[in-house]
Amino acid sequence: MLHANGMLNKRAPLAMLLSSAGLFCGCGDDLLPNHFTAASCAEVKTRCVQVEGGDSAGLLTLANSIEAGTTIVLGPGTFMMTNQLTLRTAGVHLLGQGIDRTTLDFSAVTTQANGVDAVGDDFLIQDLTVRDAKKDGIRVESSKGVVFRRIRATWTTPSSSSNGAYGIYPVKSQNVLVELSRAENASDAGLYVGQCQHVIVRNNTVTGNVAGLEIENTQFADVHDNTAEDNTGGIVVFDLPGNPIVGRDVRVRNNIIRNNNHVNFASGGTVGSIPVGTGTFAMASRRVEITGNTYQNNKTGDIALISGLVVEPDSTKWTLPTASLSGTYADLALMPGATTGTVMNFRSENILVSGNHHTGSGTSPDLHDPLGIGALLAAQSDGKPVDSVLYDALEEPRFHSTDSSLNSNDRHICVGGNTGGTFASLDLREQSATSLVPFFRPAAPFKPFDCTALTGAPVGDVILP
Amino acid sequence: MRTPQLVIPFVVASALAAAACGASAPTGEHGPSGPVVVDLDAAPPTLLSAYNLFTWAPTSGFEFNDRVVPYDVNTALFSDDALKQRAIYVPDGATASFDADQPLVFPVGSVILKNFYFPADFRAPGADLRLIETRLMVRHADGWHPLPYIWDETQHDAVLSPAGEVRAISFIDAAGASQVASYLIPERNQCQSCHGRQDSPGAAVELVLIGVKARHLNRAYDYGGRVGVRNQLDRLAELGMLTGAPAAAAIAAAYDFRSIEAGGPAVVPQAALDDAARSYLDINCAHCHNPQGVQGMTSQLFLNHDSTDLFHLGVCKRPGSAGLGNGGLVFDIVPGDPEASILYFRTDTTKVGAMMPLLGRSLAHSRGAELLHAWIAAMPANPCR
Repeated sequence: MLHANGMLNKRAPLAMLLSSAGLFCGCGDDLLPNHFTAASCAEVKTRCVQVEGGDSAGLLTLANSIEAGTTIVLGPGTFMMTNQLTLRTAGVHLLGQGIDRTTLDFSAVTTQANGVDAVGDDFLIQDLTVRDAKKDGIRVESSKGVVFRRIRATWTTPSSSSNGAYGIYPVKSQNVLVELSRAENASDAGLYVGQCQHVIVRNNTVTGNVAGLEIENTQFADVHDNTAEDNTGGIVVFDLPGNPIVGRDVRVRNNIIRNNNHVNFASGGTVGSIPVGTGTFAMASRRVEITGNTYQNNKTGDIALISGLVVEPDSTKWTLPTASLSGTYADLALMPGATTGTVMNFRSENILVSGNHHTGSGTSPDLHDPLGIGALLAAQSDGKPVDSVLYDALEEPRFHSTDSSLNSNDRHICVGGNTGGTFASLDLREQSATSLVPFFRPAAPFKPFDCTALTGAPVGDVILP
Repeated sequence: MRTPQLVIPFVVASALAAAACGASAPTGEHGPSGPVVVDLDAAPPTLLSAYNLFTWAPTSGFEFNDRVVPYDVNTALFSDDALKQRAIYVPDGATASFDADQPLVFPVGSVILKNFYFPADFRAPGADLRLIETRLMVRHADGWHPLPYIWDETQHDAVLSPAGEVRAISFIDAAGASQVASYLIPERNQCQSCHGRQDSPGAAVELVLIGVKARHLNRAYDYGGRVGVRNQLDRLAELGMLTGAPAAAAIAAAYDFRSIEAGGPAVVPQAALDDAARSYLDINCAHCHNPQGVQGMTSQLFLNHDSTDLFHLGVCKRPGSAGLGNGGLVFDIVPGDPEASILYFRTDTTKVGAMMPLLGRSLAHSRGAELLHAWIAAMPANPCR
């Protein structure tokens, strides 16, 4: 049942509440009429409707009938959903009673569906759990002003390739804040920011996913104070080929990235090739800062800076008409394409790695990843741990295994300030099972990769309106 | 004076369709008398009958108000085998205008309607019908408003149902096999998933029509009675409901899927295979997978019939974010190798979370998947490496 502006709810008789189809949380208070204890329409000044815990039919009807600017407050309990919760109205704020008190459960859905599927500016989702969605947990697309706060996107069964793809998934959106949230057991990425602009991701925890936290084709993102633990890969930054939002200005700082040794249970695709035990990689990325993070016990290795050609060797597929590009890009000096008016974005360049803490990682590289990266690292490490920071010098005109002066740093890879770990570069193109070219392993400050600042200004703060 | 039009339900298999269309015997049912009622200022009516658009009986099918013109499309969206009866209403004194590429442009007050129904047994497709839902698109000054109506158990009327429903629907298919569909009656907000168009990133999402494009409508239709078989565009023009259209013969037509439904892709001449497959992709996939589709933009896979770039068509393209939809495969289309192509996998599988189209399919559309299989197999082989 629905209650306008919270007033009816407070006078609702107990019998009426109990007639509601849902399950209630075990807390005794929740069975009292006034059980919208953490959030209620009483505190909301704008249009607001309360939905009793468990009333999934009422919630679906409401979601498909509301006007712009409506706050929906969900009561405590579990909503057994029959379809995705589709929101297509601007200004929807969806508030639960707490991450452990209000749950949208999609396990009984028999059609293809996400959990919460929203398109609409000024969207807020807060204080609830989304469980067992068939596809993505919470997908918010093409929206300006998006907040995820204290929410959990999860699947009940760990390590199942039938779990949905993405837990928390803002895509093609601007001004996005994800904070104090959890993403668990996704068969692709737990927290996936795709093709967005102006993003803050902070104080979240991602566990049990194939990729913990992904920043894809995204511009101006500040990813800090998150914990990525027990995923196949921890926090990754990359561009995919053919997308006109060229990633730039991504800061990964002060995160904890540890024990990301979870079996890779993806059904394939790009994430299926992530070696078990990966901390962070930046691929086909530019203007990225990886600073002040704590890396621990990621068994393949902590940080890799790689070209997009590793996953898509055909450079023509990385060609983008400049007329199609989103946002600013002139200052990036992207590699020109074969024809005029085009650029290519497979390179990783202008990247800063500094001040990270590294302990216990690289001790047991994944010998079974489809690209053979772990096996290569194992063969090259000669019993010693894999170096903390690896750079694939594929895009460097000069590589030499021993002589610093014969290595170029034209792509401006700066690891001079990362003295807490070791560094190695390699040219993946020259490596094969029968011909191992020794890695270049300079001592700190890792000349010629000893720079300590990006070309151009540092990545700036992200300020959301 | 209004003359009700009798329309016998369209049947999937062309042989059966021919038989059914020939059997236009009067049934004793009558189409609605009086005008169609579309009150744009009032809240949408709770009951579908308030519009006075058509009548329906499980034994006889649809009878339309005489300002409501039924239509069909050359290749249709597969919706778990549901039969569909579509129709157009244009207000008296108003007319739609022709567009060569985009949907016809309808005046305010127009209604496009689509009925979804099932026979109990597809081997007797005119008998024991169950009408499940009627979807309306009503043209207001500010755009199209989608209104889903669900038919009640008595089949007497349909109720406005913004929450939609997922319903288990059982039937015997044309081959005599029992099927149970997890049939999706979409939520109102899900209408946007297919009907939403965004002209540029950040722009507002606008609702658009899909099937009422000239290329889909350019085909013959049996109107019964004295009108008989006519080209649909010509007929709309004759009725004054469409202006600006060139002669139908001068308009491109999407491939007619009926022969494939009956005989499989083998009946398609080799030279027409590309047209047939692209027509199928256009109506089944391109509502999302086009450069203005909200989700199409995310994937960068563009399957609209006039998409020419091979990469964006999926050739040797790695999916952006297919999740478990990749089926363990690497490229959307591997020319010459359908079994290695994600596009074939996703249109053939019935695995929840992996199948395509995203909405409205829980069963396999084997003829459609076979067509795509044949199309990819016929491409000059390229291992994509």
